[in-house]
Amino acid sequence: MRHFIPGVALSVAVLFGGALSSLPAAAEMNRLDDGDLSDISGQGGIYLSGDISINADGGPIQNTYFGSCSDADKRCGARIAYRLKQDGGWMVLDDIRGKFAFEGLTLRVRTIDSGFGGDGALFNQDVLEIGLPNVVRYDSVQFKLATSSTARPTDPGFQQTDIFSVEMQGDVVLEGNLLVFPTGNP
Amino acid sequence: MRELRESGSLNRIDWIKKVAMTGLMLLPAMAPAEMKSLSETELSEVDGAGIGLVLEDFKFAHGTDVENGQVFKIGGIKNSQGEDVEIVVNKLYISGAGSNYGQDLSPVNLGRLVNPYSIDVIDGNDIGVPETAVMEFAAPKMVDASVGYDCMSSSASAGSGTCSSRPASAELPQGERPDIGLQLNLKVGSQESANINIHAQSAVIDGSYLRLWGDNDRHQMVGQFKLNFYTPELSINACDKDTAVCGSRISMKDFALELALGNALQPMYFDVNGSGNFLVEVAAIPKPQAGSVGADGLRASSDAGTWDYYEDYYTNPEYRSNITVGNLSVGDRDFGSSRIQGMLIQHLKIQTKDLAQ
Repeated sequence: MRHFIPGVALSVAVLFGGALSSLPAAAEMNRLDDGDLSDISGQGGIYLSGDISINADGGPIQNTYFGSCSDADKRCGARIAYRLKQDGGWMVLDDIRGKFAFEGLTLRVRTIDSGFGGDGALFNQDVLEIGLPNVVRYDSVQFKLATSSTARPTDPGFQQTDIFSVEMQGDVVLEGNLLVFPTGNP
Repeated sequence: MRELRESGSLNRIDWIKKVAMTGLMLLPAMAPAEMKSLSETELSEVDGAGIGLVLEDFKFAHGTDVENGQVFKIGGIKNSQGEDVEIVVNKLYISGAGSNYGQDLSPVNLGRLVNPYSIDVIDGNDIGVPETAVMEFAAPKMVDASVGYDCMSSSASAGSGTCSSRPASAELPQGERPDIGLQLNLKVGSQESANINIHAQSAVIDGSYLRLWGDNDRHQMVGQFKLNFYTPELSINACDKDTAVCGSRISMKDFALELALGNALQPMYFDVNGSGNFLVEVAAIPKPQAGSVGADGLRASSDAGTWDYYEDYYTNPEYRSNITVGNLSVGDRDFGSSRIQGMLIQHLKIQTKDLAQ
């Protein structure tokens, strides 16, 4: 499977909320007693800023199919192939590359017991809240959806049909919170 | 005899050690909180918990604005003459209701905390796929008409219909029914089409799902797809790319689509064949167990099992697809209502073909 992906360069910058803020120098710190501590529930959360690039300049594999992004005859993006049937052909996400950047993705646990047009009070549970970053910046993000007779382009009898390709560039508005919680009735 | 006694006492010592260790292991757990065991009744009420997803105050927009560095293109398609076809998505949005065809975007809630979008592994026995675990991606489920909301009306109140998602109201200003819109233009070779706009207002997809599982005999991925789509207005119009002058709006009032692709008896099969072409197939219905239906077609003169099998296949509304349009109008002309109802897909096979070959 490793060889289907010519290489993924991934770098994520993570800032934990408050972790980098400097502490007040002169303030005196007091110990919390047990009573005060018991009033503290999981506050805080995580603040993430990310910059992810996938094969922006091409992957490490150089052969008849994969190569540098500057070579028009070669593909430089990552490739993922998966099969839907035993001994069948392959669905392929091919030539996946580009950069995504976002600032201000938040993660925290939130108790919901009100709002939501009356649903909050009925729900009355904790959820994992993923605060969407408002804007995600896409830089030359592209991928192709294809079908192929073999998993790897270097396999004998390789034949591929590209169904369509998608190209995205610029700022995408993505606002709101994604709330994740278990369903069923545990 | 002595040996036996010795081994007996050794066993006792072992047993005491084990009890003591178990006790010690339990001690920390017992210290801060007392845990109670669940009764049989409580246990029987626990079912496989899936993941619920709700989007709160959600807003999505992307499009093409070349001058400001925004590009959203779908390409790589060729027409039958071998010319490149490029779809430029000028605007795609998901917004709160009342967006005035995407001019004023506002936030919207998608899914309800008490009836969310869900990802779950469900028991195949409950949906007619015996002894199989089925992966399900589902929109909010339909609810009883006594508590649900009318699927069309953007001012529906509780008890007016079977949809769970609520329209915007004073109590819930963002509502749970989004406006969804898409503006695109097609470029075939060097020719560009006009901008085509598609807008759905206050859309509801409650009761939709995608179920996937594996077929042991065919060693293949199979699925079942149900798409419900209700909107009080689905409109399509075309605007000139340069002058932005728009033609008449084709508007479909009270549009409802209930599409069923695949069912428990005829699931949908996905495959890529040996020459690399995608294949979707809704298989023909399998032959039921031996048995006959009487000449008068009544259950009494037939084998009960066989009769029930056909009765279910031909009457179950879950297997049928419907499209209804309350009123179709073009500009200021009304064409009245139209409907396609009770469509049953008995066999379907779609295969992509590479025109270059």
